[in-house]
Amino acid sequence: MMSTHDKVTDDTTDFGFERVKTGEKAGRVREVFDSVAARYDVMNDLMSGGMHRLWKRFTIELSAVRPGQTVLDIAGGTGDLAAKFSKLVGADGHVVLADINAAMLSVGRDRLIDKGALGNISVVQADAQYLPFEDNSIDCITIAFGLRNVTDKNKALASMHRVLKPGGRLLVLEFSKPVSPFLSKIYDTYSFSALPAMGKIITDDADSYRYLAESIRKHPDQDTLLNMVEDAGFVDCRYHNMTGGIVAVHRGIKG
Amino acid sequence: MQHDPAVIAGVCLVAEAAIARAIALSPGTARQLEELHPVELAIVCTNPAIDVFLVINSDGEINVSSYRETEPTVCISGSSSAFLKVATASDPAAALINGNIKITGDTAVLMTLQNVLSDLNIDWEAPMVDLLGPIVGHQLANLIRGLTSASRVAHQSARRQLSEFILEEGRLSPPRAELDDFLGSIDDMVLRVDRAESRLKRLKNRVNILTGAST
Repeated sequence: MMSTHDKVTDDTTDFGFERVKTGEKAGRVREVFDSVAARYDVMNDLMSGGMHRLWKRFTIELSAVRPGQTVLDIAGGTGDLAAKFSKLVGADGHVVLADINAAMLSVGRDRLIDKGALGNISVVQADAQYLPFEDNSIDCITIAFGLRNVTDKNKALASMHRVLKPGGRLLVLEFSKPVSPFLSKIYDTYSFSALPAMGKIITDDADSYRYLAESIRKHPDQDTLLNMVEDAGFVDCRYHNMTGGIVAVHRGIKG
Repeated sequence: MQHDPAVIAGVCLVAEAAIARAIALSPGTARQLEELHPVELAIVCTNPAIDVFLVINSDGEINVSSYRETEPTVCISGSSSAFLKVATASDPAAALINGNIKITGDTAVLMTLQNVLSDLNIDWEAPMVDLLGPIVGHQLANLIRGLTSASRVAHQSARRQLSEFILEEGRLSPPRAELDDFLGSIDDMVLRVDRAESRLKRLKNRVNILTGAST
C-alpha cells in the first residue's frame, strides 16, 4: 500500500516546496548535492551545532552490528557511518557505502582512505529504489538523512526490505517533526532564515540549503514514516525522537 | 521521564574520550584491559532511568554506549544516590558491597576491572613534552607531580589532624577501642538478659507444675 504522504503521483513529486516531474527529481537532487558535496560535513557541523555526530552515534548503537556482519549504508555520502561500521564488523565483515551521487561518493571514498578504513568497505553508486544487491544478503541497512531525497520512498523501503536478510534490521535516521510547538517555531525560523544564509556564506549556494530545509518540512512525520516502514513489510517497528523530535531514528526488522 | 538519546549519546561520547585519554596516558593499562576482552559491564541507574554500557574491545579500549542487545558480563544496578555514595566513599569496594547496589553476573570480572582502574597511573609528562617540548614540558610535569603529591600529603594530614581533634582534643567522639568495648559490653548484657529471661521462664514453668501437682 502506498502512503498518501509520499505524494508520488503518476507524473509529479515533491522537490522541497516545488512540484516537479517524477523523472526530474533525482537530477535536481543530484545538482543540490554536487554543489554541497565538498563542504557537506562542515555545513552539517555548523547547521546542527555538531549534534549530527550524536544522532549518528545513537543510530550506530541501535544497529547492534556484530563482527562478521554485512552492513549497507545508503546515502552514505561522506562515509562517516561507514567508517564506524567498518571497525565494528571487523576483517570478517563487510560494509557497503552506497549513494546515488557520484560527487558525494568521491568525497566519502577519499575520507575513508584518509581514515585508513580500507579492506572491508566497498563503494557503490546506487539508487535506493533499485538496490543492486541480492535478495536476503544484508544484515543491517542504515540510511541517514537520505530518505527524504528519494523520489519514491515506498519503493526504496521495499527495495531495502528485499535485500535484507530475515531478522536483518533497517535504521532510518531523518529529520522529523519537533514535538513541542515552541521548539517547532524556533526551528522553522532557523531553517528558513539562518540555514540558507549559512549556506550562502560557506558554499556560496543559498538555494541548495533552502531546498534542504524545504525537503525536511515535506518529509513524513514520525508516525507516518513508521506506518510506511510497516507497510513495506517490516515488523517490530519503532522510533526514537532525538533533540525534541527534530530528528528521529526509525527501526524495523525484516520478519 | 524519557531522556533524549542524543544527550545520553553525548555524555557517553565525552566519557569514552576521557577514558581513552586516561588509558593512553597510563602505560600498561591497555594491555591489562585487552586481557578482559570481551567483557561488557552494564550500569543500570533506576532513578533517573539511564543505562550505560562499558564494553572492552580487543584493542583494550573501552567503548561507552547507552544501548546494547547482548547479555552483559556483569550488571550493577541502583539509584543515582546509591551510585553517588559509592563514588564518594573512602572505600568504594566496601561501599559497593554494603550499599543499596545490586550486582548480578560475574563479580570476579568486576573486581579485576576495579583493580586495573585503581592501578591507573597517568603519566602527564608525555602530553606536556609533546605540547611544550622536552625542557619546559619536563619541568611542568615535575611541578604537577610535586603539587599532586603535596596535595595528597596535605589531604592525608588534614584528615589525620581532624580525626585527632575530634577524638583527643575535643572529646567529641569516643576512640574506636572505647566504642568497641562499649558495644561489646552491650552485646554481653543482651546475652545475660536473654539467659536470665530464659531461666525465669523455666522457673515459672516449674512453679506452675509444682502448684498444679499440690492442688
